[in-house]
Amino acid sequence: MRYVTLTINGEKAVVPANYTILQAAEEIGIEIPALCYDPDLEIVGACRLCLVEIEGNPKLHTSCSMAVTDGMVVHTESEKVVNARKMVLQLLLDNHPNDCLTCQKAGECLLQKYAYMYDVKFREHDGAYRPEYSDTSSPYILRDEAKCILCHKCVRICEQVADRQVLTFANRGFETRVAFDADMTIEESSCVSCNRCVTICPVGALLDKRLEGKTRIWDSEVTEFKCEACEYGCDFEVLSKNGKNVAVRAKSPGEGRPLCLKGRLTSEFLNLDNPETPYIKEDGKFVEASWEKALEIEGILDKLKKMDSKDAEQC
Amino acid sequence: MVKIVINDVTYDVPKEFTVLQACEQVGIDIPTLCNDDRLVAHAACRMCVVEVEGMRNLMTACSLKVSDGMKVQTHSPKVVDARRYILDLLMSNHPNDCLTCEKSGECKLQDYCYEYGVEGGSFVGEKRDLPPDESNEFYDYDRNKCILCGRCVRVCEELQCTSALTIDHRGFGALADTPFRAGRAESTCVSCGNCVAVCPVGALLPKREKRIRSWDTKKVKTTCTYCGVGCQLELITHKGKVIGSKPVEQGEPNHGLLCVKGSYATDFINHEERLKTPLIRKNGVLEEASWDAAFNLIVSKIKETKEKYGPDSLGGFTSARCTNEDNYLFQKLFRAVIGTNNIDHCARL
Repeated sequence: MRYVTLTINGEKAVVPANYTILQAAEEIGIEIPALCYDPDLEIVGACRLCLVEIEGNPKLHTSCSMAVTDGMVVHTESEKVVNARKMVLQLLLDNHPNDCLTCQKAGECLLQKYAYMYDVKFREHDGAYRPEYSDTSSPYILRDEAKCILCHKCVRICEQVADRQVLTFANRGFETRVAFDADMTIEESSCVSCNRCVTICPVGALLDKRLEGKTRIWDSEVTEFKCEACEYGCDFEVLSKNGKNVAVRAKSPGEGRPLCLKGRLTSEFLNLDNPETPYIKEDGKFVEASWEKALEIEGILDKLKKMDSKDAEQC
Repeated sequence: MVKIVINDVTYDVPKEFTVLQACEQVGIDIPTLCNDDRLVAHAACRMCVVEVEGMRNLMTACSLKVSDGMKVQTHSPKVVDARRYILDLLMSNHPNDCLTCEKSGECKLQDYCYEYGVEGGSFVGEKRDLPPDESNEFYDYDRNKCILCGRCVRVCEELQCTSALTIDHRGFGALADTPFRAGRAESTCVSCGNCVAVCPVGALLPKREKRIRSWDTKKVKTTCTYCGVGCQLELITHKGKVIGSKPVEQGEPNHGLLCVKGSYATDFINHEERLKTPLIRKNGVLEEASWDAAFNLIVSKIKETKEKYGPDSLGGFTSARCTNEDNYLFQKLFRAVIGTNNIDHCARL
């Protein structure tokens, strides 16, 4: 593999030629803020927060999409860059509800993190805001459209699973929004409640509904574990508050697996002190289900129950 | 012991307990902003109100003593409504800036608003708009974030015994501040930081060089090394570096109190001029040396001096920053090994 040498903030970095500036910076321990970038997703350069200054180049460039070249001199925190980032954040905040006070995402929200980092605050204005629309139709996913920053991550992660592809962008310009299928509610749509989109949302626009109101990250003890529903072992977390396991949430899919509802419910059943009633989708409606049905073990249980003691002994 | 019924369950609790203490003992969480077990109950914030059968008004659990047969509801609709109302009123006169507030993540007001689903203040009207007091070297006071719980005033008066603070003015104009609102620097404040440690919101915050979110920090419990008291404190660290400290809330010997050194003097840990190796003066210049070389030099010099001028020509001076055991051994070394009573310690001065 060919390597190139570039300078980032005065530091030399030697990286493979197919790296982006953002990856090169990461390699030498320089963090570049980004809302829409994720190493596992297609690069879109949408959020404009990872802008950097490249010497000899009049415009700022998105470091997530710009490939490194030999001898490149990059500044990631120059005045010009910082001002541009502040502007991007200010515009995002101008169209975002000011409710870190009670937002479930507070403490893990990237918008909050970067606004704090660059000291950008909410301001009052009489311009338009995104319409306040929450989709509460699913017992597993809460969508708060007012908080969406259109980073595209949810759409891209949903797209990666060929038989899902539920999420998409609808409309254009200020009216752009993320829609489920042909702009349906989560319940009506073909969404299978795998929570992939929830794991990647950088803000509070897509939330795990079964976590809501129970605990926030700074009050929680987080224990990572692997899902035991199948042999792939997707990454999950159990959140405890005051010594009680109050919620389980998906963290990231295992290698070659998409995350699934069955795994999530199995994890809840095995880990929580008081698991909530499971729901499953039947004919486009979420209905309460027994744990046997939700975990798809009805058949086995029935057979076990039918066995008389003699059969059991032989087993 | 008395029998008390809390949320329809009967418990036996000591008769000198308050309802709040009783609930705490049986594991029922009652919200409170102004209560501190070390201080006289103040009943200022009204968050701990509970419903007591036979009493017309809601009662503050922090100041109400238990009595035999008392029936208490801690989370009835009436109580929850009252708490929501209080939070709503507080937020109506509080800046809504959890986005960038340094206290975010450790703020009791933020946590209770989340717990009780109060998304902000719904009362429109005047808001306190006063300049911050940044005159103290170690901490800042954002007057607009004060919720008048009075903990800073009471800890300063009842425990620290400095009485630098008071609730000044009345009604909407009331504020926890120094006399005449002249600023911390003009007051009798000794910068112990105990007011900062008890502030439930972001009104009192330590000055920090770097802005770091509370949830990105780790807290490590340790013993303060400044003197022989051995106060328990938590060092606040970020990426392996100490960025501040705060007292451990309960327990011997300091019961959640610290002095100015324990509270704020942690900068030396990462100071670039910090002495990390022994220095030996060679030709008038101090040079870095190994511990072995330094000890060998000390031993040889002590032996030489003792032989030449006798043991009383030597004196030992030890430090309050060493442990009791170290200090004991040091005096033993001087009395028993070297043979002199010339031994002293800085904390005795």
